[in-house]
Amino acid sequence: MKAREFWILFAPSFLVMGGLLVIPLVRTIQWSFESVRYGTPGTFVGLDNFADALTDPRFGQAALFTIIVTVITTAILLVLGYVVATGIDRLTKSRPLVLGIMLVSYVLPNLVGAVAFSWLVNDNFGGIVNRFIGLITGTQVLWFTEQVPNAILIIANTVWHMLPFAMLIILAGLQGVPVELREAATIDGASPLQTHLHVIIPTIRGVLGFVTLISIMDVLRMFDNLIPLSPQAAAIGNESIMLYVYSVAFADGAQQLGLGSAINVLTILLILVMLTPFIRGIFKEAKVAR
Amino acid sequence: MTLTDEALSTRAITTADIEGKGRRPRGRRKPPVVTGILLGILCLLMLAPFIWMTLSVTKPTNVAFANPPVYWGYEPTFQAFVNLWETTYFSDYLVNTLVVAVVSTIIALIIGIPAAYALSRFPNYISALLLVLALIFRALPRFAVVLPMYDITRALGIYDTTFALAIALVAINQPFTIWLLRNFFAEIPRELDEAAMIDGCTRIGMLRRVMIPLMGPGILTAGIFVFLFAFQEYLTALVLTDTSSKTVPVFIATQLGQTLPMLQQAGAASILLTIPVILIAFVAQKYLVAGLSDGAVKG
Repeated sequence: MKAREFWILFAPSFLVMGGLLVIPLVRTIQWSFESVRYGTPGTFVGLDNFADALTDPRFGQAALFTIIVTVITTAILLVLGYVVATGIDRLTKSRPLVLGIMLVSYVLPNLVGAVAFSWLVNDNFGGIVNRFIGLITGTQVLWFTEQVPNAILIIANTVWHMLPFAMLIILAGLQGVPVELREAATIDGASPLQTHLHVIIPTIRGVLGFVTLISIMDVLRMFDNLIPLSPQAAAIGNESIMLYVYSVAFADGAQQLGLGSAINVLTILLILVMLTPFIRGIFKEAKVAR
Repeated sequence: MTLTDEALSTRAITTADIEGKGRRPRGRRKPPVVTGILLGILCLLMLAPFIWMTLSVTKPTNVAFANPPVYWGYEPTFQAFVNLWETTYFSDYLVNTLVVAVVSTIIALIIGIPAAYALSRFPNYISALLLVLALIFRALPRFAVVLPMYDITRALGIYDTTFALAIALVAINQPFTIWLLRNFFAEIPRELDEAAMIDGCTRIGMLRRVMIPLMGPGILTAGIFVFLFAFQEYLTALVLTDTSSKTVPVFIATQLGQTLPMLQQAGAASILLTIPVILIAFVAQKYLVAGLSDGAVKG
């Protein structure tokens, strides 16, 4: 294909992405060095916004909370995703039905899923889960006003929402493990557990890496589900980074755009660092393919 | 027996594999009873929030909020749906949500298909660069592009229009769209392009007459994903809309801190928003699975 043809075909998409992704992103970077309000030109303040962000204990708490939830959620997703994928791998006739049911929580709008999830434990709606826990342990769990129970609720919801995705990707990876390889392991006397640990998991490590990557990226950005699940997020210390950005730079007419943008830039840097191994991998593959 | 890493990774994974069709029969054929029961329980757990919500919404308001919960002996009612329809602008919000989803899907495909095709036929390092950019833009904190968009749409006077929201979602989802479509195009042999061009087709004519018909399933997959993303979107809609182009997820969120009947209406709205996506999960399952595994296994 000639370069001219390439650009004619690529131009519309290129213009949309350039105008609506790159220009806003540049604006965010510019704002992070400015004291600025919506609709007015800002004044340059150097690194003040970054200094403000990094010394703000509320931001520190939000970052800590976000990272803890991200790590725990990702670990649960990998283990549970693997176990469920192994189970579904053994199904034949009922597989489309099970996949369909599993997909429901993934295709639901995240916010709607979180609203439905919150009703399970919300006493205003009979809170069926709360009721069961009360019957078994005799105590009431304060899901919305205590930090740890609330964090557990948020993690449970995130796992619920992302499990179908993790499970499907791992299932796709399992299909790529040759049957001969499993049979060989069995013939050599490996127990099922050994086969999983030493044969199957190393074979699909690329797929597991991808699940880890997407899970980290998506949980770091969590926002939608906290609106119904943690109405008092800031007060109990369960604010996510994105929720914090929202509350300083947008909610209720908040105008600290510089601070919000600085946090966005910091988050982007964090994500870039985490993406580096994957980016290297993609370029290496492209070189091999060429 | 020696199996190298290459031998493992080059085995093509098809949708039929994941759906469980066309796999070779294994030696042992015991029906997996325990697995089946455990998965059955898991399915129930996965649906539990939605089932509980449906029950809560179809109870009369005084029963719905009773604690301890009332499980039976009440008259199921659709009053919450009627109230939702009559006392709020739900129908407007639903129309907005659908218009945004449909418009952004159509635009995303019209600009994404030629771009993905061009990238699939261009040297590898450009494709690699695109993959990296797609990954980075997919990972961006949404506010890093949406807050400037808010500023820009206000300056241009298109703030709070369905068009602004739709085009913003086109841009936000474009890297993913191109990435997915490119993977499908890459599977169509280049010889086919050349044959069509020798027969006198122009590039664009060939794209229209040969590629797009061949790409039917791929385009459908990308279309379903872009539609779902736009349909689900909360954050972007929250920032870029106010009253006249508000979407259903934003409406649901504003109902949350309100009175109990309004909460029940939020539940009713949630159910109405959920039913179409559940249909998609079952009817278009093949395409969802293909889209998810394609992005992962090849990317």
